[in-house]
Amino acid sequence: MISCTEFIPAYSELFKFLQKRGGKDAVVAFWEYLSDNFLTNLQELVEKKGLRGCWEYWSHTLNEEAADFTMELDEGVGEFKIIMNHCPSKGCLLEYKHIEPYPHYCEHCDVLYRRVLEPLGYEYHADLSHCDKAKCSILVKRRKAGKSIS
Amino acid sequence: MAKQVMKRRAADNQYLHKDFHGALSAGLDYLAEHYGRQAVRDYLRLFALTFYAPLREQLQRRGLVALKEHFEEIYRIEGGHIGIDFSENRMIISVEACPAVMHMREHGYEVSPLFNETTKTVNEAICEGSEFTAELVEYDAETGRSVQRFVRRESTTESVKNT
Repeated sequence: MISCTEFIPAYSELFKFLQKRGGKDAVVAFWEYLSDNFLTNLQELVEKKGLRGCWEYWSHTLNEEAADFTMELDEGVGEFKIIMNHCPSKGCLLEYKHIEPYPHYCEHCDVLYRRVLEPLGYEYHADLSHCDKAKCSILVKRRKAGKSIS
Repeated sequence: MAKQVMKRRAADNQYLHKDFHGALSAGLDYLAEHYGRQAVRDYLRLFALTFYAPLREQLQRRGLVALKEHFEEIYRIEGGHIGIDFSENRMIISVEACPAVMHMREHGYEVSPLFNETTKTVNEAICEGSEFTAELVEYDAETGRSVQRFVRRESTTESVKNT
């Protein structure tokens, strides 16, 4: 058994395996598959509860992943925000001295969550500019009426 | 509507997100569907050779006790019940039910038909190039109950007789 505490390196190595087989397109195709098939719980929560669904989803996952974060929900303004002070996944990959993280590892979050949230009527903004230090942030905003995505 | 804020430090929680097992299982299914079943084994072997390199080095240096400590630790973390029959030349691990499989069953995740490879292929890869062999002797796909045997190569015949 691969322990769930060893999952992050297992996933990073899977991304590297796919990249060797079919380039980055093959990795992104897998992320899209995961988003469509594995994040149905996030989709259902947001469909049912709006931004509060984001709050509930990430309350569960980020606490179980022992992340260092600040999460904000402002339903009046229509915004949900996560400031990740130390991402446990990227942090764990950076700590291992004997494995090289998949270079585009952090992009998987952007693909996975954007693909769920944008079709439900939300803007998804991710700042990955400091992900080399295991820091990032996301902002999910309720799209204003009349503003559509193409 | 008041703004809600949640702040957490890493030390506030234990790192144990068992839903990751479901994500790994989904990854294996994806690989099998798009690249064939052998790709699942190839990926798990490469992962194990890379990630468990320090454990493999310990196995070479300290023998089976290194694997014993590893498995005791991961099953303890995951809350799995195991029995270990240990000697210098042979170790048999009896897993009552795989915590990963049980979590997926309890939470409605698909369990990949190739999920047993996360034990079989991974154990074999950990032992690759060492004095020991790994064998998944029994495996129940419903619960992940298993018997895993590790034997020193020159004592394989004797160990099998004694099992």
